[in-house]
Amino acid sequence: MTYPRPQLKLLLVLAAVFLAGLGVREWRAGFPDAAERLERFDREDPPPPIPPAPRPRAAPRWAAAHPEPAPASAVQSPRTRATAPPPAPVADPRPLDLNRASAEEISRLPGVGPSLARRIVEERDRRGRFETSDNLRGILGMGPKKLAALLPLVTVGE
Amino acid sequence: MRWQEAPLLPLSAAFALGILTGPWAATAPARILAAGGFLLALGACALALRCDRAAAATLPALAVVLGALRGATGPLPADHIARVALAPVVNVEGRLAEEPVRWAPDRTRLILDVDAFLDGDDRRPASGRLQVTLYGETAVVGEGQRVAADLRLSRPRGFRNPGAFDYPAFLRRDGILLVGTGRAESLVPLTPDEPPRPVRVKRWAAATIGAHLPETSAALLAGLILGEKTGLPREADEAFRRAGVYHILAVSGFNVALLASSVFFVSAALGAPRRTTAVAAGVALVGFALVVGGQASVLRATVMGLLLLAATLLDRKSQLMNALALAALLLLAWRPGDLWDPGFQLSFAATAGIIYLTPVITGWLEGWGWPGWLATAVAVSVAAQAAVTPVMLAHFNQLSLVGIAANLVVVPLAAAGTTLGMLALLVALASTVAADVFFQALWLALLALRTAVWGAAAVPAAMVHLPAPGWAATLAWCGALVLVPALGARRWVRAGAAACLAAALALCIWPWVRPGDGRLRVTFLDVGQGDAVLVELPEGPRLLVDGGPAGARRLDVGERVLAPFLWNRPAARVDVVAVSHSDPDHSGGLRAVLTRFRVGELWENGRWSPGSEDTLRAAERSGACRRTLVAGQRMWLGSAVVTVLNPDGTQSLDEPPPMGENEESLVLRLDWRGFSLLLTGDLGRSGEERVLASRAPVRALALKTGHHGSRFSSTDEFLAAARAAVAVISVGARNPFRHPAPEALARLEAAGARIYRTDRDGAVILETDGATLWITRWASGAVERLDLDPERA
Repeated sequence: MTYPRPQLKLLLVLAAVFLAGLGVREWRAGFPDAAERLERFDREDPPPPIPPAPRPRAAPRWAAAHPEPAPASAVQSPRTRATAPPPAPVADPRPLDLNRASAEEISRLPGVGPSLARRIVEERDRRGRFETSDNLRGILGMGPKKLAALLPLVTVGE
Repeated sequence: MRWQEAPLLPLSAAFALGILTGPWAATAPARILAAGGFLLALGACALALRCDRAAAATLPALAVVLGALRGATGPLPADHIARVALAPVVNVEGRLAEEPVRWAPDRTRLILDVDAFLDGDDRRPASGRLQVTLYGETAVVGEGQRVAADLRLSRPRGFRNPGAFDYPAFLRRDGILLVGTGRAESLVPLTPDEPPRPVRVKRWAAATIGAHLPETSAALLAGLILGEKTGLPREADEAFRRAGVYHILAVSGFNVALLASSVFFVSAALGAPRRTTAVAAGVALVGFALVVGGQASVLRATVMGLLLLAATLLDRKSQLMNALALAALLLLAWRPGDLWDPGFQLSFAATAGIIYLTPVITGWLEGWGWPGWLATAVAVSVAAQAAVTPVMLAHFNQLSLVGIAANLVVVPLAAAGTTLGMLALLVALASTVAADVFFQALWLALLALRTAVWGAAAVPAAMVHLPAPGWAATLAWCGALVLVPALGARRWVRAGAAACLAAALALCIWPWVRPGDGRLRVTFLDVGQGDAVLVELPEGPRLLVDGGPAGARRLDVGERVLAPFLWNRPAARVDVVAVSHSDPDHSGGLRAVLTRFRVGELWENGRWSPGSEDTLRAAERSGACRRTLVAGQRMWLGSAVVTVLNPDGTQSLDEPPPMGENEESLVLRLDWRGFSLLLTGDLGRSGEERVLASRAPVRALALKTGHHGSRFSSTDEFLAAARAAVAVISVGARNPFRHPAPEALARLEAAGARIYRTDRDGAVILETDGATLWITRWASGAVERLDLDPERA
């Protein structure tokens, strides 16, 4: 067997490529999900869709003619710089059932953003259901202060 | 490199200079011709008198004259489609000059060489080139096919903002004076789809790649081999830009060199003689160039490659710089408009930089004890980066800081991917099964490439955005680079290079440190149908209210207009971004602003409706402090006070607003010295009544007219209360809503306001020092002056 050196190189490279290709094909056939995940590693998932609001009924004509006056209490001095806190969202008096609530509903709790809400739902899916509200402890982003503030506002249903 | 070895370099530089003067030369072609004749006579005399140096000196001057004549566009032929009077919608017949580009699921772009149009019932011949956008699912058509379509033709329009990209001029250089839009159903093929052979090869290659590889990898390989980037997802495209390796997605000298060296490698293995190999490589290069199309970088690389191969055949020493100059000369003589093309500039700058600087830098690095292969690789990367920096900044405001390092890893991976890809395509000609094995191996290489690019792009501050350098800074930078190889020679060279470098850097830093002029500046940007208002306080803070339209199926104004505008200010930070409401023509462009700039606070009305998901996610990730505003809040912004007039906070954020989203628009009022500005978003009649009933301070000097001048906004009562002297309507030309409404315009006139419109005036800029207001209509450059009456303010 006497191959000239350039031919030897070419053949070896081809063989290596062929072997690698066969290996990858076997692997992809065996683990299609892993291959799919690998293929999409640098892709972003599209953002979660914002559900469309139900169309409001046409307002009666007189509604626009008599708007309610704006609350006067909202006026602040111009000296309060741009760091004034935003108005607190209107809270529902009933506690929120963590086992039934959607991520969107959870995200309306004070101090809970959409990403924390998503992690709460993921934690619920992982556990199956929350046994007590204390199960929230340990979720990334759920500190003791935030948890203490949330406990009166949430409950766990069957 | 010795300058005597590149005799064509001054000639092609002179020719390019002549093309630059083309627009001016077009006004006096006879005089230019006379000057050319005179120069020719002078040269002949000098030659006859045996004064060779003088004769040689006339050559560059002659090249300038020739360039000017080539660059000057003559008058249009009488039957040019842009010269004939046409009905609003006209049936046009023509031949497709390129393969159609589907840039969205239901948007197709065609380049049509017109040969006739229907005038009533008779068919009249015509000439000229059109760029056509078709809406809807288009029938499959291809290059070279004759088609007919009902088109609405118009002059191309760009966004007319300070420092903006001139879109009409860009199209004019391609010979396109009119653009058309039409329904895809009206497109009728007149001849069967029988494209020329190279196009068929390209289609086959794209289909084969798509059949064997998953989506993103296939798009990447199509970019590597064919230069087709349309399939690449946005985040991958962005990663390649950030990593500074976008050039590997353009077909260039890189591909040509790989192709040629593959041919040489295989021939060497088969023991073919050198000349046969050179001829085979030449044939491969020409075939490749025909298939991938006629971008400037392909043509440059092919011309240079063929010259080098010819030198091999003729046993002559090849001089790279001279080959580059010849390629430039040929390309510019054929297509003078390419001189302004970023692809042309990048390709020639990078090649010139590599040829000129690599030997010197390699020498330095080897002097420091680096191994030869590493020194060469780094030197090529550094030289190319140094040469393309001004071009990248001028066109894209981008400077990749990781590019030099990223290229060291990415280029070998891309080389492996490209070579394997070409090999796999060759194998696919014979056997699909065997090709599949190659494509699987290729998938690994492509994944490695993507990982490297993704890693480089994830480095913090991988890419910085800087304002476009001026001519002076670019020239100083080039001067410094030209002096680099001679650095060791004499002391004055070193001093000169240092002076050039210092001048270039100082000119680039100057815009950042320039002292302000003490004026408040409000820019109503031309963003088409939508709003974008930038308020700049004299102390520096910036408030951007709304970001213009963007969405899945339209141009992203944030990327194309807002970001370059802000980069050129220069600005890296926007202190406050306010989004009046989440409709895509107000919030869409903010995605780009929130991702690309440091944003201090985001002011919103607390409602996000479907269609604004991208912006909402960008807001969540931006790190900006999000504040939901309600009427009555007042904030300092620098030395100005911003007051919130709407929404009044009585509507729960969980329920849809009974009057519609527009009535919940954020309405902001800004007061600074004697100047006041009212920004009303898309507020309509009932919202205006609500604001008036709340007795909020609406009286203002300048008013951004509500809802793009819709007839349901700007009621008489509201205008009477506002008593604005200046009313600005932010609206797109020929918008489907027919904004602004004549009724609203009449009401504004009756209220005594001067009306400015972004569809006619381009960007509208209000500047004030507190006592005088200057109003600029950017499209015409007209400046009006208004004294601010202290009684009013």
